Amino acid sequence: MATVSPAIESHSDDHAHGHDHHEIGFIKKYVFSTDHKIIGIQFLITTLIMLMAGGALALAVRWQLAFPWQTMPIVGKLFAGEGGQISPEFYTMLFTMHASVMIFLVIIPILAGAFGNFLIPLQIGADDMAFPALNMLSYWFMWPAIFFFFGSFVVGGVTAGPAAGWTSYPLLSALMAAAPGSGTAQTYWLLGLTFVGVSSMMGSINYMTTIINMRAPGMTLFRMPLTIWSMFITAILQAFALPVLTAAGFMLLADRTMGTCFFIPAGIIVNNAAPTVGGGQPLLWQHLFWFYSHPAVYIMLLPAMGMVSDMLACMSRKPLFGYKPMVYAIAAIAGLGFIVWGHHMFTSGMNPALGMTFMTSTMMIALPSAIKTFNWIGTIWDGNVRFNAVMLNCAGFVAMFIVGGLSGIFMAAVPVDIYFHDTYFIVAHFHYVLFGSTLFGVFAAITFWFPKMFGRMMNDTVAKWHFALSFIGFNAAFFPMHLLGIAGMPRRYADPYLHPYLEHLLPMNQFITFSAILMGVAQLLLLGNFAYSIFFGEKCGRNPWGANGLEWSAPSPPGHGNFDVPPVCYRGPYEYSSPEAEALGQDFILQTEPPPDMTTTENVKSIETTA
Amino acid sequence: MLVQMNRHIATLIVATLVVSMGGCGDALNSSFVYSEQTQALMPQAQKGFPVKGDVKALPGARQLLDDRFGNPQSLNAWSKLPIDFGGVTGTVVAIPDTKTLILNFDAEVPVQTDEPLKLQFVTGPAAAIVVQIDKLSEAWTASLSGNLETLIKAHNDNNQGEEPRSIPVAGDVVVIDGGGVLQHGRGLYMRHCSHCHGTSGDGNGPTAQYLVPRPRDYRHGVFKFTSTNDLSKVSRDDIHRVITNGIPGTYMPSFVPMLNEQNRHAVVEYVRFLAMRGEFERKIAVELSSDFSKEALGSRLEAGDSKEDVIDNLRDFLAVDMTDSLEFVSDDLASKWTTADTDDAVITPDVSRIADTPESRRIGRELYLSKAINCAACHGIAGKGNGPQTTIYEKNTVTGELYDTPGLHDVWDNVNQPRNLTRGIYRGGRRPVDLFRRIHAGIKGSRMPSFKILQHEQIWHIVNYVLSIPFEPMPGHASGVAAPAEATPAATDAAAAASVVE
Amino acid sequence: MKKFWSLFFFFWPVVAIWSCWIAPARGWWFATEAMSPLGERIDGLFYLILGIVTVVFIGTQFALGYALWQSAVKGEDQKAQFSHGSHSLELIWTVVPSFVLVFIALYQMDVWAEFRVQSFYPNQTQEDGPQLEFMARQFEWRVRYPEPGTELQNQPQPGDLYAVNEMHVVTGRPVKFNLRTDDVQHAFFAPELRVKQDAVAGLIIPVWFEIPKAGEYAVVCAELCGWGHYKMRATIVAESQAKVDEYLSNLQSEQNFDGVVTVDDEDE
Repeated sequence: MATVSPAIESHSDDHAHGHDHHEIGFIKKYVFSTDHKIIGIQFLITTLIMLMAGGALALAVRWQLAFPWQTMPIVGKLFAGEGGQISPEFYTMLFTMHASVMIFLVIIPILAGAFGNFLIPLQIGADDMAFPALNMLSYWFMWPAIFFFFGSFVVGGVTAGPAAGWTSYPLLSALMAAAPGSGTAQTYWLLGLTFVGVSSMMGSINYMTTIINMRAPGMTLFRMPLTIWSMFITAILQAFALPVLTAAGFMLLADRTMGTCFFIPAGIIVNNAAPTVGGGQPLLWQHLFWFYSHPAVYIMLLPAMGMVSDMLACMSRKPLFGYKPMVYAIAAIAGLGFIVWGHHMFTSGMNPALGMTFMTSTMMIALPSAIKTFNWIGTIWDGNVRFNAVMLNCAGFVAMFIVGGLSGIFMAAVPVDIYFHDTYFIVAHFHYVLFGSTLFGVFAAITFWFPKMFGRMMNDTVAKWHFALSFIGFNAAFFPMHLLGIAGMPRRYADPYLHPYLEHLLPMNQFITFSAILMGVAQLLLLGNFAYSIFFGEKCGRNPWGANGLEWSAPSPPGHGNFDVPPVCYRGPYEYSSPEAEALGQDFILQTEPPPDMTTTENVKSIETTA
Repeated sequence: MLVQMNRHIATLIVATLVVSMGGCGDALNSSFVYSEQTQALMPQAQKGFPVKGDVKALPGARQLLDDRFGNPQSLNAWSKLPIDFGGVTGTVVAIPDTKTLILNFDAEVPVQTDEPLKLQFVTGPAAAIVVQIDKLSEAWTASLSGNLETLIKAHNDNNQGEEPRSIPVAGDVVVIDGGGVLQHGRGLYMRHCSHCHGTSGDGNGPTAQYLVPRPRDYRHGVFKFTSTNDLSKVSRDDIHRVITNGIPGTYMPSFVPMLNEQNRHAVVEYVRFLAMRGEFERKIAVELSSDFSKEALGSRLEAGDSKEDVIDNLRDFLAVDMTDSLEFVSDDLASKWTTADTDDAVITPDVSRIADTPESRRIGRELYLSKAINCAACHGIAGKGNGPQTTIYEKNTVTGELYDTPGLHDVWDNVNQPRNLTRGIYRGGRRPVDLFRRIHAGIKGSRMPSFKILQHEQIWHIVNYVLSIPFEPMPGHASGVAAPAEATPAATDAAAAASVVE
Repeated sequence: MKKFWSLFFFFWPVVAIWSCWIAPARGWWFATEAMSPLGERIDGLFYLILGIVTVVFIGTQFALGYALWQSAVKGEDQKAQFSHGSHSLELIWTVVPSFVLVFIALYQMDVWAEFRVQSFYPNQTQEDGPQLEFMARQFEWRVRYPEPGTELQNQPQPGDLYAVNEMHVVTGRPVKFNLRTDDVQHAFFAPELRVKQDAVAGLIIPVWFEIPKAGEYAVVCAELCGWGHYKMRATIVAESQAKVDEYLSNLQSEQNFDGVVTVDDEDE
């Protein structure tokens, strides 16, 4: 298929009406687009903006921990607290919304929404998603979610917001009176969650269908890059886990608004409201919530793992170490991910015998993670590493993932978790996984696929500075949190220093806050580099990195329909430095490069007969 | 100590405490808010009049208040009030040079403290001057951080209109670490209390809007759960007890072990300070509001008076009448708050608690239902806090208008649910004496009236009955009986007997 | 620059290990040693895992750093090794960690059972029954003792004694109490004792601990319970049986105080 620029055509046809008579109008092309690439970029930009919003919320939380009850600079005057204080209930809203925004509006959509959308058709050699309109809807369903999440902050005054944590445990989240100020806000939050769920579900169905049905000739399952594998398995995870959360969300919504009592036991009087009539069980929510949210941790991680595998192989100029074990490891993580939810509930009062089961399954899920780590190091080993920003972020990903993985073992061990549950150790752990791993993976992926998205390169020097500052800021902020956890500092405390055994931790918290500010400022480099490079970055060709994937055989940026000719895949995605490549005088060989001894048509036939 | 201070500083109404910024829990730019009544005054009544020619400045309501109480960053200690502001008074023994003072104190002085000690001259030529002490020896020889002459010169330069100060002489009264307690209490209050009770103690902190019942607004000077009689204010011990034990059934938690004894004392004093500030503000506003509120101004303008007339009247009022009013208001304030801490104010039963027998409870229940006492009118026949009075529309006693919502309203205009006695939660404390005092003095500010007309034995019977309600197997089985006086005793017997067997 | 970046990845784990190394001396570690026998065993497990994890951490981080360093010192024209992996290596790093992980899991079981599974609780706690009820509420801990000489009932009894934010228990023997909540979910967390248990609405959860040494121990709330979450501070006072009895009898007379002060009963 030849791409013809629609702009040129319309100009020659009709000068007078200008843009209105383009083949695809501006609105249709860039706003309500059904093109997976545009949707992916829409997701990317939206989530980057949300990343900044979520980060700002985190800094407000950090401010309170470092300078409790002091007026916040600049924005403090907007707060309802007298003298610009962050009042305690506002603090609970801040961390609730920080987590909600980061998880539901940043990490999940940036992986599945942005990169899933952009990469899946390109990497499997399809011209678009299986259901382009559904794809567009999945993006536009993000906006009601954003509206409800941020609306929850606005309804009922400046400091009204959902205040039950992102986990929203009942009864705090179920009774209007229990979490003051969260009356309507908690309901909004639940609606927002539902919309995110709908958006993700649409994406999932689309990804699964696309990957199963629309692969290019020759793109067998085991020739798919790990990015695609991870997106595929993530989509399956999502499809199975999400309905449970959605159901739980509706139950909670019903408890709040219709007087059902799924999670509310009888006779509870909170804030002198009428006693609950009850019959429900708060632990039910925890089971349902974590049945989704533990797999969700992998939804938030697996795609990054897949993308990093791709990028590490490319930047080390070396085949991925143990491709199939990596695939099986991802599958194993996904499978086991469904039977470990109880490790969030060791101290919750569920049947203690279950604790033992969940401990064992949780230990087991560490195994595939370990295998992956070893394989990544094996991939770099003896490679010919290019030390660019992509590689550094990937190496950062691996280094941080090791910490996040290892600190998880403490929590998997039930007796030790008795102490660490709901302390800052947990906060450190999941930030190492979600920020340290996923976001460094995302930073790498942005830099890596940016040329494909916009036809220009990002500035490598700025990207390296961004990496270095983020990495230093991140570790300085989050590594000490392990120590806070060991010292027994509970999470979600607006003023931990009321407790004598925590008083001496104030200087450390201040250090963490300064580090967090450094990390936050560093993200401006990313934004700046991103925005600048879209318009002024160095122009690049189809394959600036010398990578193997199908997407690199398409123009940068790919036109409508992606490929000049429908691609055919002849080999696996990681044949870097292979003898075949060397025969061509290069250290990479595109998946579309036909073997020298075979003409294109022959190959297609042979594939079609074997497939 | 305070008495002595009062005597010495008759000329000096207000001793200003220099309060440092920072410290734990300080909201840096917090300020006291003026009450609605003050804000309803016409602007001139709020602001007063500046110096005009040879006419002295006339302070308005805001300045009258601020002069005496200051703001959270710089509190003023009005020594007339019975508050332990902190500090130790003493006298100057000798002044060897302008950087050294030899002092003598009435009590122990903290020689070593975290922050530099501040010394204020109360009487004599240097009255109101504050100096900082670098080092205080055990023999109370103080080395000053600055030169006295320079300090006094600076003071005189800054306060041109006032009588110039000069070097102090032996025998002058001083106060060291003045306001230390109040300042400490302020810091603690801002950290622990203000997000509900508000910086000004108006019960309107950021968290307050979500709470049922609302946090106490101290500015009426009225506190609900006291050990004092119905006409007295709250005692220090009462506030202390509430901070110590919390108020079950509300969001007021216990602050032990978070605040130690010394800290709780400081918070108690600061709460009393805020209460007195609020009460003073109210009373000043009341003095002015009949003629000089925005509303009064409006009606006078309608009646044909010119604005200038009203302003002239206000000038006269502030210049002449206000002086008397101020004296009356402040005397009244001081004496009432002082009395509350005396033993006379505390309600002490004449007789020990009557033995908690079924018979006593039966009598108690009879009294509970009787026409004269009629606890059931509010608390309900079954004690569930749902008596017929809870559904009526009440008149606001101040404005005379009907409230929008049915139910019993307190002086803070909030609807009060009468206590549900079946829950076994007693906000003012669960000791028999606490219940006795609740019945004897009523709950101040609420619609629970004083029953001091009852004999103490009768009150004990009611206490015994009330304490037994949560354990009745069938609470309120007599409900629905229109005049249960005859029907009740037998039934109560059965209930009481049952709970005793248990 | 290549060497710099390789060293960068060598450098940071060194800083991480160094910060953990100096942490205990600077108070960035457990506030105190475990003050209960079970807590000591939990600490033992913690240090065991810490040991294993440290070895793995150092091994993997330095392997990563070294792998980068290899490339950094290579000449520009050097080729990458063409290899799709090694079956035997894969086998080793699958089997060895799985043994380690299973070992860790199995090794923890009995401590967990003793802490939480009621049939494994110390016999003493079964005989004594719950000593008191610890009721969490927004935002304080309400304590209910049975009337001295009687057993604790789930429903309040007329003779029950009430206290707030202060739990008095006997030293040197396992003490069981009922953990409940009056409203939303809270969690009982005694850091020095290494005990944590959520209080769930509608459930009565028996918790036990043993404190050998008399003293005061902190209790905080570890489950988000609303805006005042951070305020929920209480104290466990561990003392001899005689002192606990004295405390309870004082509490009883205080609670029955009728305001009539005799000469030696100075209360108000």
